[in-house]
Amino acid sequence: MIRFILNNKIIETHKPDGMILLDFIREEEGLTGTKEACREGECGACTVLIGRLNNEKMEYKTIASCITPIGSLKNCHIVTVEGLDTGDFTLVQKLIIDNSASQCGYCTPGIVLSMTGFCFMSEEISYDAIIDALDGNICRCTGYASIRNAGRSLIDNLKANDYEKTAKKDRLQKLIEMNIIPSYFAEIPEKLKKIGNRSNINISDETVIVAGATDLFVQKPEALENQKLYFMSERKDLEYIKEENGNILVGGAVAIEDFRKSQVIKKHYPELEDYLLLHSSTILRNTATLSGNIVNASPIGDITIILLALSARLVIENRHGNIRKIELSKFYISYKKYDLEPCEIIREIEIPICSKNEQFNFEKVSNRKILDIASVNSAALIKLSDKKNIEKLRISAGGVAPIPLLLSGLEKFIGKELSAKLIQEIAEYCMQSVTPIDDIRGSAKYKKILLKQLIIAHFNKINTVQK
Amino acid sequence: MKNVDMKMHVKGQSVFIDDIKAPIGLLNAALFTSPVAKGRIKNIDISAAQKSEGVAMVITHKDIPGKNQIGHMIADQPLLAFDEIEYIGQPIAIVVADTRKNAKKACQLIKVDIEKLEPVFEPREAYQKGLIHAQKRVLVNGNIEEAFKKSKYIASGRIDSGGQEHFYFETQRALAIPKEADTIKVCASCQSPGAFQHHIAEVLDIPMHKVELEIRRLGGGFGGKESTAVWVVAAALAAKLLNRPVKLVISRNEDIATTGKRHPYSYDYKIGLDENGKILAFEVFLYQQAGGCADISPAVLGRSFLHTSGSYCIPNVKITAVSCKTNIPPNNAFRGFGVPQGTFIIESALFHASEIMGKNIIELKKINLLKDGDFLPYGMQLKKTNAVRCWETLDEKVNIKKRIEAVEEFNKNNQTKKRGISVIPVCFGISFAQSTLNQASALVNIYIDGSVSVSTGAVEMGQGVNTKILSVAANTLGIQKEKVRVDTTNTSRIPNASPTSASTGADLNGMATKFACEELLTRLKKLIAKKTNFFDLDKIRIKDGIVYLCGAKLDYTWEELILDAYNERTDLSCHSFYATPAIYYDRVKERGRPFAYYSYGTSLTEVEVDILRGVYEIVSIDVVHDVGKSLSPEIDKGQIEGAVIQSIGWTTIEQLRYAPDGKMLSSANSYKIPDIKFVPKNFNVMLLENSENPYAVCNSKAIGEPPFIHGLGAYFAILDVLRKIRKDKPLPSLPLTPEKVFMYIYE
Repeated sequence: MIRFILNNKIIETHKPDGMILLDFIREEEGLTGTKEACREGECGACTVLIGRLNNEKMEYKTIASCITPIGSLKNCHIVTVEGLDTGDFTLVQKLIIDNSASQCGYCTPGIVLSMTGFCFMSEEISYDAIIDALDGNICRCTGYASIRNAGRSLIDNLKANDYEKTAKKDRLQKLIEMNIIPSYFAEIPEKLKKIGNRSNINISDETVIVAGATDLFVQKPEALENQKLYFMSERKDLEYIKEENGNILVGGAVAIEDFRKSQVIKKHYPELEDYLLLHSSTILRNTATLSGNIVNASPIGDITIILLALSARLVIENRHGNIRKIELSKFYISYKKYDLEPCEIIREIEIPICSKNEQFNFEKVSNRKILDIASVNSAALIKLSDKKNIEKLRISAGGVAPIPLLLSGLEKFIGKELSAKLIQEIAEYCMQSVTPIDDIRGSAKYKKILLKQLIIAHFNKINTVQK
Repeated sequence: MKNVDMKMHVKGQSVFIDDIKAPIGLLNAALFTSPVAKGRIKNIDISAAQKSEGVAMVITHKDIPGKNQIGHMIADQPLLAFDEIEYIGQPIAIVVADTRKNAKKACQLIKVDIEKLEPVFEPREAYQKGLIHAQKRVLVNGNIEEAFKKSKYIASGRIDSGGQEHFYFETQRALAIPKEADTIKVCASCQSPGAFQHHIAEVLDIPMHKVELEIRRLGGGFGGKESTAVWVVAAALAAKLLNRPVKLVISRNEDIATTGKRHPYSYDYKIGLDENGKILAFEVFLYQQAGGCADISPAVLGRSFLHTSGSYCIPNVKITAVSCKTNIPPNNAFRGFGVPQGTFIIESALFHASEIMGKNIIELKKINLLKDGDFLPYGMQLKKTNAVRCWETLDEKVNIKKRIEAVEEFNKNNQTKKRGISVIPVCFGISFAQSTLNQASALVNIYIDGSVSVSTGAVEMGQGVNTKILSVAANTLGIQKEKVRVDTTNTSRIPNASPTSASTGADLNGMATKFACEELLTRLKKLIAKKTNFFDLDKIRIKDGIVYLCGAKLDYTWEELILDAYNERTDLSCHSFYATPAIYYDRVKERGRPFAYYSYGTSLTEVEVDILRGVYEIVSIDVVHDVGKSLSPEIDKGQIEGAVIQSIGWTTIEQLRYAPDGKMLSSANSYKIPDIKFVPKNFNVMLLENSENPYAVCNSKAIGEPPFIHGLGAYFAILDVLRKIRKDKPLPSLPLTPEKVFMYIYE
């Protein structure tokens, strides 16, 4: 039995864990305001809000309902556009109308939800931040100018109401006062406490482990519908990001967006906050996890490529709770094959904190800049001596091999003095050591030369930073 | 006036096809389509599929009661293939089951034996083999040989432009409900009420009066739901055969893989200029990549053909155009309907000529702009031409010269990033080039409570046509907008409606509505005259729902008037008809006046290319567009913004990829359309002021498609950067994807 609250209604259902939320909302509950347009999390028309009770406080975030299994939503508050009905138009709805930010209307409910969700999620109340929150909501009609204007008006309204200065615990009430959400939201925490249910967590050989589902449920939703599923999102014990003994420790259940915004990351790898905007969209980063990205084993996964350059290690737990550790660079065996037994999960990711002279850079080129899979991506960790000699050189590259690749043989450049000529040599070497294939992301030739350019870009960026 | 539908859109209350409450006994259909691009069907085995869970029926060509034919222009497109296979994705069978999932599952059990034949994918190759749809078209004006002899500068070459997936958010779909006495009601997401009703009637073998096709709204159309009737007719056929309601909804990736797209073109061009840069001669050969059936391709080609002179005065032309039969899904209408492709070739040729001449392309464009009195290649003389006005208005606003200088300055100071700039003028003919289609009707009903219902043949797809019609009706009748409701588009109320396309929706249907309202108003005024003994009808007015005589307000409201009219037995319902006057075209001579008027505009696009990585961003777009006297500035501005960004998608990142066997490789996760961050921070749209247009309703101008042309600016601004880097290669084809930009620089 799965229990959650949908809008203001308590739901108890015997539908399978693997049933897609969008289907549940539309077909079981007849709420047709949430639209299906891609079923891959690519467009945002199906965006809904998911609220979880955390330390007596509701935390809401936006997700793509078309790839979310309902089993992952036990004890959640799910909000669709119907659940925003305040009798009148909410402020967000009014601003969309005022700015003519809707044409055919098919994507509009998703945009309403993303803008509403922004008010809950964002630490920063700024124009740029609301544009980030809308990065997964595609619209084929408007050309976005009017949607941006609606976003700008929302920011103005929030600022005029001192929302930024409102204490976090009072924000929900403030949003009710501002007519952004209906008043029943205030009663949700109490209701959620009453319905509380926990599933029995155990893994067997047939269990499919779901760590975000943003790719898994795109690939084979039918096959998974009646599968036994184990949701990493239920491992509250693995939702931490902490600093310990020169390492950043990231729990296996941490969503990429939480990682991106965490204080620990901002302190040690501040550039990741922007780099990870390239990973996917807000609605996907809100559920996609680092561990999911790693076991997805895409040769072009952004997280994997970043973690490879950062010398990350994986802490792997089996069903008995036994633990082993492995270097990420040794984890991948061949295309989509890696060193993980059926009953094992990634419990933790250990990221060494780089030393002062080490510099990190990430490059990604995709056909569309945002929410697209890279043609080639690459990350580099470079340490230069005071005399500009290379002391450490670690470069990863995606899209150029069957696995996320850590480039080998770079030792020969250690100790050499950094120069334009040396950068060319390194770039040339990297290019020659990979064998990409022609595919939908680009021709083999393109990817090869592009990698060379991205290696040069690493050094350019690092040099600029040093200035 | 803002789009009235938004009030429902924001609450998720707008009903699209899949949101209609399921009628009792609803079944779901899925299509089984050809996995082979070219071949001949030997055998179709549906036995396993018939036994699959939940399956009600597996329909093949043998089950069709009427004609197995849905060709839009030429009868070459069977609903269900029975012999020849022309493309991957061609429908072979319809599986109907209790759920969509079961229908899809059963599709996988159908076995089809197809003898494979050699497919053709290249339009030029198809032409060489004589594989064309309809006839080759040739238009000659002036003396091209002489003109080239006189030309000081000649540029010639070959270039290509790519296709584009519509990516309307609501995929192809329909819900068909059988009714009494062999009648059927079909709710569909389609742009052509009349034509699709006709196809349904023919395939089901029932008269058209037994088919009620109803359209509330579309979740986007952009032309993709204008001509290819497969999904609507398939649902109707299944409902008819099973006597049960049937819904057919295709998935995003099915839609991308099997539906028509914007036509790719290949071009040969030759352009001649005199010593001052005036265009003397232009010769072009258009090869259109049409796909396996003609569909609407010959009409699209015709529009490309008529627009190859763009916004320029070209005295001597020779235009040849062929619609090439290739083994991909039949391409169809897409916003612009061939005009973007036609404009692209003259813009490319002129760009090339500017390089040969060594003159700035922007200056070269300006001196060749169309003016009043100029003739277009098909012999139409221009009046009320706003090409120069739009250009100069933009120039006043942005100072083109300063912008060029700023770009040069930027490029001087930056090594790895370079900026490029482009100015694009727009001249877009308005009317269906097929003169017959320029007709529309409206039915206006006034009810005894004073509320008004308007029905027209226009289809609302987000472009706001219903809001414009509502506004025309309220303004003409002199009543508050709240009193007027635009009803669904329904073939039982409005027969033989032309498609809502060619940007003519508001022009035609708005005018028919205006006529109907004027007629009703006259009837009401006569009644007022009788009641007040004041017979000068011109001095009777209704304003904001109150009756005025000679400007004096009477204590007489619209509601009272209507009730009186009813009691006096006045006809409160009026049907009216509009046909665009004075348009004609002679296809043999290729001469005529095919368009009622032209839509003009000018835009400036600036881009920044990251030379190191081959990626780029659009820095700014400034648009001036002529919308006449706008029926709704909010809607028109939205149409311009939407068209520009959709077009930039076509010219830059949207690229369709096929496997060597013709299978579509692009899908939702690889075919990327512009997102919110793709749009430039500086995006300014200005409507040309004081523009009058006597040729359309209330002095307005069509808006849906013309601004799409501005998006070419992104291609040419990137090209500006690329050509500064190197000129030892031919002009790259459109779209300029990051990969293409990169390879242009580094390969």
